[in-house]
Amino acid sequence: MSHSQESLNLFQNLCLELRRGSLILAVLACLRSEQYGYTLRKALADRGLDIEEGTLYPLLRRLETQGLLLSEWREAEKRNKRFYRLSPLGEEILEKLLAEWKAIDASLTEIVKG
Amino acid sequence: MQPLDRYLSNLAKLLPADQREDILRELSEDIHSEYEDKESELGRPLIESEQLEILKRRGNPLQVAAGFTENKGTLAFGPQLIGPVLFPFYIRVLTFNLGLTFLIVGAIFAAISLAGQPIHFADLFSSVILQLFIQLAAVTLIFALVEKHLSRQPHDWSKEDFQKNLKAAIQSRIEKKIQAGPKEVSRFDSMAVLVAGSVALLWLQSIWANQYLLFGPAASFIALAPIWHVVYLPIVFTVLVTIFRAAVNIARPDWLRFRDVVSVILDAAGLAIVYTLMFAHTWVVPAATAASNSQHIASVVNQWVPFAIFASAIIALAQAIHDLIRLYKNWRWSSLHQDALH
Repeated sequence: MSHSQESLNLFQNLCLELRRGSLILAVLACLRSEQYGYTLRKALADRGLDIEEGTLYPLLRRLETQGLLLSEWREAEKRNKRFYRLSPLGEEILEKLLAEWKAIDASLTEIVKG
Repeated sequence: MQPLDRYLSNLAKLLPADQREDILRELSEDIHSEYEDKESELGRPLIESEQLEILKRRGNPLQVAAGFTENKGTLAFGPQLIGPVLFPFYIRVLTFNLGLTFLIVGAIFAAISLAGQPIHFADLFSSVILQLFIQLAAVTLIFALVEKHLSRQPHDWSKEDFQKNLKAAIQSRIEKKIQAGPKEVSRFDSMAVLVAGSVALLWLQSIWANQYLLFGPAASFIALAPIWHVVYLPIVFTVLVTIFRAAVNIARPDWLRFRDVVSVILDAAGLAIVYTLMFAHTWVVPAATAASNSQHIASVVNQWVPFAIFASAIIALAQAIHDLIRLYKNWRWSSLHQDALH
């Protein structure tokens, strides 16, 4: 494997790690308004955060199991779709996570500035 | 069958049973939404190659299912050999095979010890390591090949010609659940039986060629008695039928009656084999090149074998009763269900 390929792989892996934590925040924030999986995925992609279906749906299930999301099957556009929204616990946790994220962002900005 | 139905059918086999229908419904809806978006963008229905392209981008069913499976580990030496979907079944098969093997090795060394022969740690250690290596290599190889096969054929993994489409299958599963009928045969259990049966077959073949694999260092004192020549082919045939039953139930997990009937026939065959062994009186004989005290060792082993055969007979009988009750219950449920439909 060439040096440039190795460096690219390393960069991609680090990007993946960096995005992994932010995804939860992005998904929770998007679900302040009710959405089903496909529109949620599109909403994230439109804002520059592409997420694979194989990652999104297991994540939604996990967040629902943790009590952060609520879901229900309902008919929309002539088909049954599963709609997700934040639960009261999810709203509470999202607020705390956003405050944490802002604090991290501020610290990082300071650190990067040197 | 449409590419989407084939994709979801393949995925269904790999998903956790308790969430299967829910996940499939949701993924099916997601893919339909993507199809519709693409169709409105192109202004025409998608052709098969375009549908396949969308499915290909989503990854092979094994990878997608892995996301929904609780990660209990993977096996990797550099590249991943066994992924999270197959890993729990790999561990289950390996544990069963190693447990059985070590039980046999332990029994042999106990018999040698009871016969008054000294047991050297090096002999015991080399036997255990040899068995460990053989089982580990065989089971890992089979599972790695299955994993590779599944990963390589993302959208046409199975050639089975399913007659029902996915909707009908889901509907029938929901109905089955509502009516609390018998469950389908777990595909993973069938896969585990298939792998364990294949390893057992290889092992049977190997010990026939080299009895050291069974007896370890004791192979220089004792050998299998002629009764094993009588039961060898029936045992091999029973294992082959077990593998066949598992293979059929991987393709048709809804063939419960097939599973139940074949299980009862196999139980009967197993009991017949145990019965034949029970009255043999001699199960091991001194090896051809044996030392002078090998006759004594053989007689001590022959004193202990009936206990093992008796234990096997009890287990085989309990299994046969269990399978008979299951056959009766499923048969009765099926008859009642048919009556209710008419």
